[in-house]
Amino acid sequence: MSHTTLLTITLLLFGAYFAWLAWAMRHRTRVLQGRWWFFLRAFFPNWKFYHAVGRPPRLHVRGQQASGEWTDWQLVYPRSQRALWHLFHNAPVNLALNHQNLVDHLAADINDLPEGGDIQASVTYPLVARLARLALPSEGAPYQAYQFELRLASPRGEAPERMLQSPVLAA
Amino acid sequence: MTMSAVAQEAMAALSLGVFVRAFELLLGWSLLLQTLEQWHIQRLDRVSDWSVQRQEVPTQPTGLLALTDALFARPGPYLAMLGLRGGLAVLLMAGLLPAAGAVALFAIALLLLLRWRGAFNGGSDFMTLAGLTGLLIAHTWGAWAGMAEGWRAGLWYVALQSITSYFVSGWVKFSRAEWRSGAALPLFLDTGVYGPLAPDSVFRRPAVARLASWSFTLWEGCAPLVLLDPRIAALFCTVAALFHFLVFWFFGLNRFFWAWVATFPAVMYAAWA
Repeated sequence: MSHTTLLTITLLLFGAYFAWLAWAMRHRTRVLQGRWWFFLRAFFPNWKFYHAVGRPPRLHVRGQQASGEWTDWQLVYPRSQRALWHLFHNAPVNLALNHQNLVDHLAADINDLPEGGDIQASVTYPLVARLARLALPSEGAPYQAYQFELRLASPRGEAPERMLQSPVLAA
Repeated sequence: MTMSAVAQEAMAALSLGVFVRAFELLLGWSLLLQTLEQWHIQRLDRVSDWSVQRQEVPTQPTGLLALTDALFARPGPYLAMLGLRGGLAVLLMAGLLPAAGAVALFAIALLLLLRWRGAFNGGSDFMTLAGLTGLLIAHTWGAWAGMAEGWRAGLWYVALQSITSYFVSGWVKFSRAEWRSGAALPLFLDTGVYGPLAPDSVFRRPAVARLASWSFTLWEGCAPLVLLDPRIAALFCTVAALFHFLVFWFFGLNRFFWAWVATFPAVMYAAWA
């Protein structure tokens, strides 16, 4: 087989592969579920980053002080000061982003919950509860109880929609 | 001699070995930075709780739960595993990683997926895993068919994953009206960890946002063109490095920067081959 023929076949195969990808992007594909799929999803990345604006879930928390008074609801969302050296070491920010992923996971778990299912039985729920507890502002401490909410925010300024409200939890 | 002739001569002088060394250096560097971060995170993280997380670890194969318990229930074994990973990353950078080291790096990546519920930081984990899979292919296939053949297969795997990531990411955005209008750009930049954007940021100007959105979605979508010519690939990788730096600058995603840059030698190899 000549070099030109081989090159043409290779390019055609690549063309077919990217055409198939383009087709797959426009069609709904089957969602694979199961524990192993969950843990090994990194082997099947969909490479869709920031593709749709949507209504992202946001965690809010409030605490009940020793006097019995509740604080206002506070948004728990990672914000940080930028520094160039973070390009090489950015552990606190990456951890905060990981915690925000937990919030996204909880929203996904709620959406996938079967009829009559209990979200509190999920693994994500107690982890988010811990995140909420740790996010209570130190100036109001000590707290005797706290409560968190998951709200669907609107980047376009519409009113947020409550997705979940936890019971009052002991701090 | 024209610039084009110089570029062609430089390309001809390249060999598989150059791409392999560049790939090993960058992947090793990326792994080392991630490992040092994970080490630091072990001290910072007060949310993770293995006694909760272990409930979702599959009970088959037998012994998996016991292994993960042994590694993740206490900090010592986990930090030892990270230490091993860091050492292997240094060996990889030095070009001294044996096949068993490639297998160990891959196995540690799998264990980290279990520790971090499938991903620590999403896309950067996915691309790092693609790099480690390429490394594993190079060493395992290389042991059977010769290292040159192994590296060809490994680098092609990584290149295809990298090019696919840009292609899909670009065209998925391009199919959305909010990206074509430019409206999505400031909305996402406002959510960045270093955000929100300043009220007078240029990205709030609709014309600038539209131009920027069209530029990088089309550029990402045209990623397969890198396979046509090494000069296109070199230009693409240069722009990609700038793009990932900007993603870091606005979103703090430093791991994405290094994970994708580590694939560029494979992309260049695919164009060169």
